[in-house]
Amino acid sequence: MQTPKGTKDYLPPEAERHRYVEQRLREVFKLWGYQEIRSPAIELVEVLSTGVGSELIDSMFKFQDFDGKIVALRAEMTAPAARIVTTKMLEAPRPIRLFYICNVFRYSQSYLEREREFWQAGVELIGCNTPGADGEVLALLASSLKKLGLEEVRIDVGHAGLLKDLLRATGLDKEKKFVLQNLLGYRDEDQLERFMDQNNFSSQLREAFLRLSRCRRLEELSSVSLEPLKYRRIKDYLRALLEVKDSLVEYGVENLVFFDFSLVRKIEYYTGIVFEASVPNLGLPLGGGGRYDNLIEKFGKVKIPATGFAVEIEKCLRALIAQGFQPLDKRKVKFLVASRFRDSAIKAVEAIRGAGVTALLDVTRDGRKKVLDYAKRSGADFVVFVDSSLEKSATIHDTRLETVTNMTIKAFLQSLEDDQR
Amino acid sequence: MKRKIRIALPSKGRLNQPSIQILQEAGINIVRKERTYISKTSDPRFEAIFARAFDVPIYVQYGAGDLGITGHDIILERKADVHELLDLGFGECRLVVAVPENSGIRSIDDIPAVARVATEYPNLCQEYFESVGKQVEVLVVRGTAELAPKLGLAQTIVDITETGETLRRNKLKAVATILNSTCRLACNRIAYRIFESEINELLEKLRNGGTSTK
Repeated sequence: MQTPKGTKDYLPPEAERHRYVEQRLREVFKLWGYQEIRSPAIELVEVLSTGVGSELIDSMFKFQDFDGKIVALRAEMTAPAARIVTTKMLEAPRPIRLFYICNVFRYSQSYLEREREFWQAGVELIGCNTPGADGEVLALLASSLKKLGLEEVRIDVGHAGLLKDLLRATGLDKEKKFVLQNLLGYRDEDQLERFMDQNNFSSQLREAFLRLSRCRRLEELSSVSLEPLKYRRIKDYLRALLEVKDSLVEYGVENLVFFDFSLVRKIEYYTGIVFEASVPNLGLPLGGGGRYDNLIEKFGKVKIPATGFAVEIEKCLRALIAQGFQPLDKRKVKFLVASRFRDSAIKAVEAIRGAGVTALLDVTRDGRKKVLDYAKRSGADFVVFVDSSLEKSATIHDTRLETVTNMTIKAFLQSLEDDQR
Repeated sequence: MKRKIRIALPSKGRLNQPSIQILQEAGINIVRKERTYISKTSDPRFEAIFARAFDVPIYVQYGAGDLGITGHDIILERKADVHELLDLGFGECRLVVAVPENSGIRSIDDIPAVARVATEYPNLCQEYFESVGKQVEVLVVRGTAELAPKLGLAQTIVDITETGETLRRNKLKAVATILNSTCRLACNRIAYRIFESEINELLEKLRNGGTSTK
């Protein structure tokens, strides 16, 4: 019996590591004032499809509900969050700060198979379109990844509106736009120039593409001047990017933020800045996000600007491990308590647990030898055979040192605590 | 300090030697020992890893290799989301539809509507036949597609050919070209941002190395 393709079980050590990453992210999100939401794993397909674009829609697991409606497993959380805000939180004071940690599902047609179920942690900052809001989300992303213990984090920022408008201004057909987008990604000026010559770009447009694809840092955008006023909206975008940069300077994270004119996300609803976070040890982005000012109105006719990001738990964990970090708390001591006297055994585990130490009760009727053997194999550090009363000294086996001592549980716990100091 | 930049190279086959050579011309000599898959190079910033040419795109997409050398046909077949930074010029070949010489099939239109096609390139094969409006049954074989017609597995094959010699020897003829391919330098999207200056330096050297065409 296997799990379906692209899904997996998380066994004890791995599940705990995942939980560690989740916990850390949850703590940071909460410290920044974000509040957790949960939503159903299945939703009506029209909810999940709103604004996300055909690539994501094609990748959704869809099926028919018993009432004939088509439902799907959520493939991301921004659309559900938008639904929640427009249907249940319209009265909430804005900006609204929400976060989620949940599994999402995507089916990929390519046989370069990735996980079909994976876990995301993300935030949405809803109801505000200031550069300060974008700055907060970027700074929170940087802070979250650093809090996890990741080193050499970098965030690459692009702008969905800027790229889209400039591509539209070229008047190229879909196929050529795609070629151009790839060229921008390759950062190959010679090829880019050749392409623009072949396609009769105006000198202004040429200049804009060349200059923007040369920028590696947000502050370099200040030297890009796009005259004449035909590109008014584009100028607004550039100004917004520069203001986001100012905000990042205030947070002191501008060093790890770069500009990439060619950056695009696979989801379509982005209208403003878009970004991806990565570390040098992992060849795939840890996550990303951006501004989506037109998505929420599609759910409820009220225009509400928003921005947010999501990171993948598994990728963060893999990056951590690649950087040699052990994302587990120091191994905790574990006891196994056995006794002929059931009531004193229960009193004993309660006393140990009361001291904040993990204690297992032997529920088998096995003899000493079997109990000791089980303790060793299941990672218990000490096996305690208690007498009829906790006042009497118990026989305590240290499974690693293979030594035996006789003392009361209270005294033993005390001695452990003294050792730790 | 930055980690080393890994270049994935075809471990054997027709792309192996030219890949090693073009890097050599760009000043990166690979010190390969027998049966090792990771090799040091004369340039301390780079190391080489050896993988099947067919797997190189995956290594690069997932970042196990920052750079990779493999065929354009293979990158497309594996639908790898990578940057193709440079056409290295060598490894020229065509992906063709081929049928037995004596089959009476002269063009793609003569292929029956319910044909079986043996290929190492199921994705490109499927896409091609869909684009010409034929529903074919694609059988994935490894390495020996040209035997399929002889053994009665499938009359039609989709395979790469350099000179047409192997096709001729197996009494096959090409009736359509799906794509022309050469070897490319592929790059992981994130690695390109992180190691931009090093990679651009290498690109410059590869361009000036003599064999490249672009």
